[in-house]
Amino acid sequence: MGRIILEVKDFSFKYRQTKQKALKNISFQVEEGNFFCVIGANGSGKSTLCSALAGLIPHYFTGKMSGRVIVDGISAGESTIAELSQKIGFVFQNPFNQLSYTAGTVAEELAYGLGNRGVSRRMMMEKVEFVSKLMRIDHILDKNPLELSGGQVQRVAFGSAFIMEPEILVLDECTTQLDPAGSEEIFDIVKELNKKGVTVIMADHDMERVARCADKILVLEKGRAAALDEPKKIFGDPEIMQHGVGIPDYVEITRALKEKQYTDRDIEIAEGPAIEMVREVLDRCKLN
Amino acid sequence: MQIELKNLHYSYPSGGEVLKGINLVIGGTEPVAIIGQNGAGKTTAVKHFNGILRPTSGEVLINGENIETRSTAQWSKKVGYVFQNPDDQLFLESVRKEFEFGPRQIKMPEKEIKRRNEWVAELVGMSEKLDMHPFDLTPSEKKFCTIGAVLMMDPDVLIFDEPTCGQDVQGNHRLLSIIKALKERGKLCITISHDMKFVVSSFRRIIVMCGGEVILDGRAEEVFAQTEILKKSFVAPPPVTKVAQGAGLKKTVFTTEAFMEALEDERKV
Repeated sequence: MGRIILEVKDFSFKYRQTKQKALKNISFQVEEGNFFCVIGANGSGKSTLCSALAGLIPHYFTGKMSGRVIVDGISAGESTIAELSQKIGFVFQNPFNQLSYTAGTVAEELAYGLGNRGVSRRMMMEKVEFVSKLMRIDHILDKNPLELSGGQVQRVAFGSAFIMEPEILVLDECTTQLDPAGSEEIFDIVKELNKKGVTVIMADHDMERVARCADKILVLEKGRAAALDEPKKIFGDPEIMQHGVGIPDYVEITRALKEKQYTDRDIEIAEGPAIEMVREVLDRCKLN
Repeated sequence: MQIELKNLHYSYPSGGEVLKGINLVIGGTEPVAIIGQNGAGKTTAVKHFNGILRPTSGEVLINGENIETRSTAQWSKKVGYVFQNPDDQLFLESVRKEFEFGPRQIKMPEKEIKRRNEWVAELVGMSEKLDMHPFDLTPSEKKFCTIGAVLMMDPDVLIFDEPTCGQDVQGNHRLLSIIKALKERGKLCITISHDMKFVVSSFRRIIVMCGGEVILDGRAEEVFAQTEILKKSFVAPPPVTKVAQGAGLKKTVFTTEAFMEALEDERKV
């Protein structure tokens, strides 16, 4: 087992304006370099959990909190957002919430965090150039962030998180404004960063993507942890849909094939292996 | 109801042609889905259906009547458009006020407003939230609030722009039941979506746009069988369809049941 970079201990939180707790007694650990996914119906607490990991709870959203979030040895509740931002990059569900609203251009927006950290101008320009090319927004660097399309703002939001080179990336349903090809492109970049050692925490509704990326999955239901396991175990559980989450098409196909006893494979959760499995079934009956 | 586009061209004032000659007839009550990548011109096209945008050249006909003959406010009684971003649409201090605003503008009788309010609130799942401030709703609830506000106007055609964005399993189910209920009432629903699972679950006719043109238009099975054209337009079929295609099944399928049937057919050969 690798080093624990993030730990949530018996964490509960209730927003000031609501009656029900948004999170109830959540505990889990994330190993350094892991891809950790959080799934659950809307209102299950995914965004609240992401906010707690990034320190927005309790520093920005106020309410009643118990338990602890420990980021790389530091207690999130007792440190400042500035300290936490050295380690954690957060990409919001609504990319417009991410903008500084003080930058006049996309380039300034990307450099905003670096400026607060006191990075030299030359270094800043190099990083802006690199990240804007990576996110394919180098052609709009001179534009005002408020004039961009939703998809473009989402790319700027990602860029301003990546540019800080965080050890941990927290992604809260962060590609809702992008088309499928655009989201895949961004997730390829996230996977690449993850391979280089960045720990990723991602809340998402796309089960195929979650199954493909995740080392571990936390299922939230009405603020409680309903399950925590590896993707094959989570989606292999026949009861999993009762927690209000969907399952990848590949899992349904495997189940249908197993029911007919056409395959003895384990649950398949990715496209490639699922196609292989179906080909095997077809080849076998050609041999007979 | 019938919407007809004749060689529709549109350029934004800032320049650049977004729609490059679209010919299309949409009519009847069969729900239609429009798909394609960001920037393909989907939203620009549907914003012509009730005159929010006016053609640079070409014609838009609603039941044979040229769109230029009336204002957007007048057309909106017939064709309702639900914005992609709820924050572009919501502006009042309660869900109830959002629902009642449009009908009051067109002087719908109070009795009728009340009757519609009950039906709409139930359909979009807002019955318990009518007195909430729209800004306190979750992103998914905001979307249903904007849908409800447009349904209140009782238009003959409804245009949903990316209703699936940010929805969970239950949200998508609700959208499907809304579309089904509207079809039963003789309404025409036109929906833009990036969620292919959602698209194939309730739309028989699919229109694919790419670079300001319609590149495919037909039954879902025909459209998703065109893998090469789809690839060029950056549209991927739903996962189950891709597995069937990858394994060489001849039929284009959208559900596990259809998948198994197609597989049995191949096994028999």
